[in-house]
Amino acid sequence: MKRKYIGIERKQARWGFAFTVPAITFFTVFSFYPIFNAMFTSLFDKRVLSLAPPKFMGLGNYAYIFSSPDFWNSIRATFVFTLGTFIPIVIMSLMLATFLTTLRSKKARGFFQIAYYTPAVISSVVAAAIWLLIFDPRGLGNQWVNMILNSPGVDRKWLADKTMVQVSTMIVYFWKYIGYFVILFITGLFAIPPTIYEAATIDGSSQWQSFWRITMPLLKPTIVLVSIMAMLQCLKTFSTQYLFIQGGAPRAPINVITLNIYTTGIRNQRIGRASAMSIVLFLIMLVLTWLQFRLSKSEDVEY
Amino acid sequence: MKQIFKRISWVQILIWLFLLIVLLFTITPLVFMITSSFMTSKQIIRMPFSWIPETFHYQNYIKALQGNDGAWIFPRNILNSLIVSLTVATTTVLIASITGYGIAKFNFKGRNVIFMLIMATMMIPFEAIMIPLYMVATGLKLQDSYAGLIVPFLVSAFGVFQMRQYLTTFPSEYLDAARVDGMGELSIFWRIVFPNCTPVIATLGILSFRGQWDNLLWPLLVTQSEKMKTIPLYISKFAEEKMTDEGAMMAVAVIASLPMFILFGALSKYFIGGSTLYDSRKG
Repeated sequence: MKRKYIGIERKQARWGFAFTVPAITFFTVFSFYPIFNAMFTSLFDKRVLSLAPPKFMGLGNYAYIFSSPDFWNSIRATFVFTLGTFIPIVIMSLMLATFLTTLRSKKARGFFQIAYYTPAVISSVVAAAIWLLIFDPRGLGNQWVNMILNSPGVDRKWLADKTMVQVSTMIVYFWKYIGYFVILFITGLFAIPPTIYEAATIDGSSQWQSFWRITMPLLKPTIVLVSIMAMLQCLKTFSTQYLFIQGGAPRAPINVITLNIYTTGIRNQRIGRASAMSIVLFLIMLVLTWLQFRLSKSEDVEY
Repeated sequence: MKQIFKRISWVQILIWLFLLIVLLFTITPLVFMITSSFMTSKQIIRMPFSWIPETFHYQNYIKALQGNDGAWIFPRNILNSLIVSLTVATTTVLIASITGYGIAKFNFKGRNVIFMLIMATMMIPFEAIMIPLYMVATGLKLQDSYAGLIVPFLVSAFGVFQMRQYLTTFPSEYLDAARVDGMGELSIFWRIVFPNCTPVIATLGILSFRGQWDNLLWPLLVTQSEKMKTIPLYISKFAEEKMTDEGAMMAVAVIASLPMFILFGALSKYFIGGSTLYDSRKG
């Protein structure tokens, strides 16, 4: 009797394994193979349409990209974009989320959340297209800024100046993702039980004190995780920069790593070099993801 | 009543002001997109911008569908985007749920290893493997085809994770009862487990649909002919030629956003639910 029972268990277990086979196959072919392939290819001088077999060159591709000003420029562009985008996004969305939780009207809060989130609904290509028009020399961007600064007729060169074009890409990203991060923070804020605040208020803590002494420390893990998430997102940015360049913006200031991989690998057909760049990007993101896992494990707070 | 009145202080007024200014910032570009899609180019770049279109310049939409070259390729590109996004949403939901079910509810050797490996793929950004994937796609002769557009996104590790988390709490008694009644394992999944995953299915379906609707990078690599291109590629081509017709470009943007707005209006709960989750496979 007992043996038969084990038999059923085994049979069931086999089903369980069978259910995972399609996914395992998929991830082997479309995730693990490509990443190992990228590591391998990054050691060769490989071109797409070349008939000669790829030549092994050790770390030559890495030596090449790390001595190439073009690649360093991409690293610079990517990091400038990442820092310039994720810091304002995190600070602003934390502020907005805190303010929204102080609203007593649930309806108003819901409305603001939805309204802030709406830009995230449209695709990033559409977002870039809209802002391309806003940043037109005669467009709304100049009109708004000149209205606020009371400086009629000044052209801010949103898409032409090499500093401004970087700021412009940051604005697009900020605009598109602010609502998304507001919602992340609101979820985090509501996870803090109100009883803690009540106790603090009874003890004579002001709202300002409560925010710095209770909310901030308890929210720290969320802030760290959201920041890393935002950084990971920004490091992968592609669409905005691509669209801006298509729309006539100068390439160099916003030539982020992903764009460089695309140009090197697909347009210039230097697969080996592009793979080396991919691995560099992968390693940067891996360090951040590892940090994220570490922090999410060690900083789990229980209320 | 007196208390409520007292509590509305200047701090609160400032908070409201701040919230409203940000609201203006997030909403105006969208309003701009919609109003200017009904304007002639001259009206769009006029200073100051008038928010109400004087004439109803619907010709922009014809121009948008027709394209600058008059080849009417945009409808085909919309169809392509729909085919790709719907297929990816369907396969992601199906494969993720069956895999998540297998991992959550069966005790087999190597279960945890499999789960860890699938989770590990979340650390691999698509941008880092797009070149090898492109080589795989060309090797399999999938370039410039629906299969090529779809195959790298059949399922997402994130989806598997979601489904597993959700199904871990699914009561095993139901499954055992069904087994006692002689139901096969596949029909248990299909008739008992799957229909009970609706919230995750909705969130995951929307997330995957959006992912592909928004995907620029992969179609850029894998498609060559105009008739295989998807909406994001059409928009980027339009952006290149934008000086020809700004109004038509915004009409393209509106058409491209319409399905998303409809989905968002009908299912905003799942939209926002999905947005709080992290997906590494977004293009």
